[in-house]
Amino acid sequence: MSSDADALERHIGHDEFDPVGTLALIGIYFLILLLMWLFMYFVEFLGNDLTVVGMI
Amino acid sequence: MSAYIDQFPEEAKVIRSAFYASFFALALGAAFGLIQTLHRTDFVRIIPAEMYYTVLTAHGVLMVVTFTIFFLVAIFTWAVTTSLDRGVEDIRFTWSWYGLMTLGTAFAAIAILAGFTDRTEISADVLFTFYAPLQAHPMFYVGLVLFVIGTWLAGADWFRSWWAWKQENPDKRIPLPTFMVLTTMIMWYLATLGVATSIIAFLLPWSLGLIDTVNPTLTRTLFWFWGHPVVYFWLMPAYMMWYIMLPKFSGGRLFSDPLARVVFVLFLLLSTPVGIHHQYLDPGIAEGFKFIAMTNTMFLLLPSLLTAFTVVASMEHGARQRGGEGYFGWLGALPWRDPVFTGMALAGLMFAAGGFSGMINAGMNINYLVHNSLWVPGHFHLTVGTAVALTFMAVSYYFIPQVTGRRLASKQIALVQVVMWFVGMTFMSNAMHRGGLLGMPRRTAEPEYAGFQFETAIGTVGELNAQIALGGVLLTLSTLLFIVNMSITALNDRDDDLPSNTIPEPLSGPNEAPLVLDNLKLWTAIAVVLVIFAYSLPLASIVERGGLFGPGGDAFPMFLELADSFGFALVGETLSAMVSSLLETLRTVV
Repeated sequence: MSSDADALERHIGHDEFDPVGTLALIGIYFLILLLMWLFMYFVEFLGNDLTVVGMI
Repeated sequence: MSAYIDQFPEEAKVIRSAFYASFFALALGAAFGLIQTLHRTDFVRIIPAEMYYTVLTAHGVLMVVTFTIFFLVAIFTWAVTTSLDRGVEDIRFTWSWYGLMTLGTAFAAIAILAGFTDRTEISADVLFTFYAPLQAHPMFYVGLVLFVIGTWLAGADWFRSWWAWKQENPDKRIPLPTFMVLTTMIMWYLATLGVATSIIAFLLPWSLGLIDTVNPTLTRTLFWFWGHPVVYFWLMPAYMMWYIMLPKFSGGRLFSDPLARVVFVLFLLLSTPVGIHHQYLDPGIAEGFKFIAMTNTMFLLLPSLLTAFTVVASMEHGARQRGGEGYFGWLGALPWRDPVFTGMALAGLMFAAGGFSGMINAGMNINYLVHNSLWVPGHFHLTVGTAVALTFMAVSYYFIPQVTGRRLASKQIALVQVVMWFVGMTFMSNAMHRGGLLGMPRRTAEPEYAGFQFETAIGTVGELNAQIALGGVLLTLSTLLFIVNMSITALNDRDDDLPSNTIPEPLSGPNEAPLVLDNLKLWTAIAVVLVIFAYSLPLASIVERGGLFGPGGDAFPMFLELADSFGFALVGETLSAMVSSLLETLRTVV
């Protein structure tokens, strides 16, 4: 059940490893966060009826 | 190299006892979860509405206190013994903290479960947060105190191991897993001061009838002093698994040991001075103090984002070593058929979604939109309910064979189980978030409100309820598969081919981490100062306004008569009888 070292095709050291896939995934995640936050703030929060904030 | 049970047979016994205690709590908690989800959504109602709160308390306490903490003391013991390569200093001491935690759980659980019967006055329908004026039987509070003292002693056990190791290895860096355990425990010691004060100084004496009233704002604030860091007490062991086990199972190595240390130091510093963000809508705490808590909370996003980067990069390293290519193609090279890997990876993915709803909770203004709504349980079922719980279940498929020496009953069922959890939670949590946005309340047995209709932009309330109930059923089935698989494994044949209990070396090792990161005294001091900054003025202002014991009011329900069972009233009666007979004697003499 462990990752078998024999299953590895190659060994990649510290200097050869460039985590571009991580950059791509995290980039997409940040974009989703930004869009969802904009939706939550402008549509759900400001777009709804008055809340306690609005009434005082 | 060999399996854990061969390296540390005595420690393996304690660790598996802790695992079994946590699984028992999980099974019971899941049963209550099912009753609750079907009751709330009005599909099946087998209990009267008022009993919902007993179910809810049992579900909450068993899941987030018993299941998680028993599990984490098991893996922390594993982490310290494995990474220091030495057994605990005194196994009797290890058993004693385990015993104390079990005793505390039994006390608290009996008090809660007694709420189901009318044969006794005992109950503890106070929910996980035990806000005054809701009052539990003293046995509940005593149980919590014993449990927390058990965890303190467990921490002392691990510190003792480290000190003994340090004497023999004065110039070595603290091994990363031990470093993670120690920083987490320092955070826990600091955080539990809040809940210990709340219970020992106020709630327990109040439930015993020794004091008449408490200041609810004060006990709530002390609760959240602990109540937010406790989420990191659940999460940091899951992070530890992501940092240590996920690279191992991906076929790679941890990207950066120094970055992992920075993350744990940041959690130690920032976990505690943020609790007031749970009280944005509480009257009695000035906005300025809430703003400070919000600022600290936003900083607390940093270690989680650092973790996202480091953990994904470690997985990518494994995938590329397995032949993965391209910007996204490497994802296909990951070992998706391995339940340990898949469970943890899906847990991490859910946590990313939980990060989003957490950011909404954390904003002082936008929090008004979701506060006390069904959104909040939706959020924490992604974090503690999946990021933590699914990670713990996934790694159990590695740990249980390691600490029992038995063969895993079924890897295929394990894979189905972790995926089923993910799918079930997707339904349930997503619908809970949407329900919260409509204004559906949390902690409500029958939220129908006759003559009132929740307005939906997309879908219907019926559809949301169906998703919540379907998700709840899938989660219960998943738990059942987990428990059965683990039970058969515990009784299975011995496995002589267990993988060896090793942790791969990081790509960037501890020697590249600045020495100051290992200076635990410095980080503890800074953490204490931050807590003083964040809490001294709000606490002083709460006490100044409402007094230490509050402005008055009655407890619900009343337990004063129950003090009898603890002998206090008896002592009182005896004393008053003695005083009156003394007076009588004096009168006679005079």
